[in-house]
Amino acid sequence: MAYPMQLGFQDATSPIMEELLHFHDHTLMIVFLISSLVLYIISLMLTTKLTHTSTMDAQEVETIWTILPAIILIMIALPSLRILYMMDEINNPSLTVKTMGHQWYWSYEYTDYEDLSFDSYMIPTSELKPGELRLLEVDNRVVLPMEMTVRMLISSEDVLPSWAVPSLGLKTDAIPGRLNQTTLMSTRPGLFYGQCSEICGSNHSFMPIVLELVPLKYFEKWSASML
Amino acid sequence: MTGSSRTGNEGGDDGRRLTLQDILDSIQETWVVFWLPPSLKMSFRAAWSLTLRKGGLGIRGIHTPGSTAHGKEKMPPYTNYHAQRSYPMPDEPFCMELNAEQRALKEKEKGSWTQLSHAEKVALYRLQFHETFAEMNRRSNEWKTVMGCVFFFCGFTGLLIWWQRVYVFPKKPITLTDEWKAQQLQRTLDMKGNPVQGLASRWDYERKEWKK
Repeated sequence: MAYPMQLGFQDATSPIMEELLHFHDHTLMIVFLISSLVLYIISLMLTTKLTHTSTMDAQEVETIWTILPAIILIMIALPSLRILYMMDEINNPSLTVKTMGHQWYWSYEYTDYEDLSFDSYMIPTSELKPGELRLLEVDNRVVLPMEMTVRMLISSEDVLPSWAVPSLGLKTDAIPGRLNQTTLMSTRPGLFYGQCSEICGSNHSFMPIVLELVPLKYFEKWSASML
Repeated sequence: MTGSSRTGNEGGDDGRRLTLQDILDSIQETWVVFWLPPSLKMSFRAAWSLTLRKGGLGIRGIHTPGSTAHGKEKMPPYTNYHAQRSYPMPDEPFCMELNAEQRALKEKEKGSWTQLSHAEKVALYRLQFHETFAEMNRRSNEWKTVMGCVFFFCGFTGLLIWWQRVYVFPKKPITLTDEWKAQQLQRTLDMKGNPVQGLASRWDYERKEWKK
């Protein structure tokens, strides 16, 4: 989850998120370079006593500041496309979980072997136990096995929320009448929080998502207990 | 400071101030111009400027706001002399109308400049230009006014925000008390949230303290 005074992304829990972190570092560095160059040039412009009112053309610098941004854009686009295609790789998920967005909660269905489904509502602030996170805790968490590829099928019953878990690099819109797929692979156990990421009504800010990643045998015990 | 005084003597005006009569004239002229049909408007204006040029009607109607930028009728400081730091040598000199003494000086300028005394060179400069570069680029105390107003409004905004915090904002939720925040932190560390580079990575689990 996020922590106070955090500046960057949450730590990556899946390999894709790790790639995204590195890509963000790369792109942000380019952004900082360009911004500081532009700020420097502006400060030069504002603090000079020289004037030159008869400039006709500037062919050399025009060529440079056309070619160089094109090169920079290619340097950003190539890693970006690489990650985009990496997200769509065939990875043979071992488990499929369906989540349906409602107004204003999520419901989950584990229907591979048995029929398990439950709703997941946010815990209101007045009912929180000491030390829990406000607006982030839910009554029924989504328990999943760690270090295994899981396919998430995301759709909605009424509104258009979005199912997002930042530390896994996931964000997928839930559209009524449509099945959106995303895959999930966590490298470590723990609780991973996310919040609805598309405006869907008055309680849009109050329908979080909590994934509880556990070793496989705990998952099996849990799913047996939930049936 | 000035090398020679400016004489603004165009079209018969003796430099007296605008009176109510002039303002009424200008309003009347503009009003007439608006509702007359175009052809009549043209002839009206032609007749009017003819009158002006001949100096007729005494000193009436000379410095009306209806003048054009290139017209000869101008009140100070509206002139054709527009010098800026980026355009330091305008076409027209600063002093257009010269008295006899100044005209004599201009004649002398046509000869060899070594004949001119220092005072004469300065006088010629003052005829041609309104201010020297040093005068044009002089600093001012405007920044003090600006900063003062900025700080004043920042302070006023601070007052508004303080009032808002006291009288408008609702009660803070229980999760913002120190006790709850401590329990939250303990829970986050227990579940090893962000153990790679984030929060839990800065906690030393053996010694149960923050890493140095």
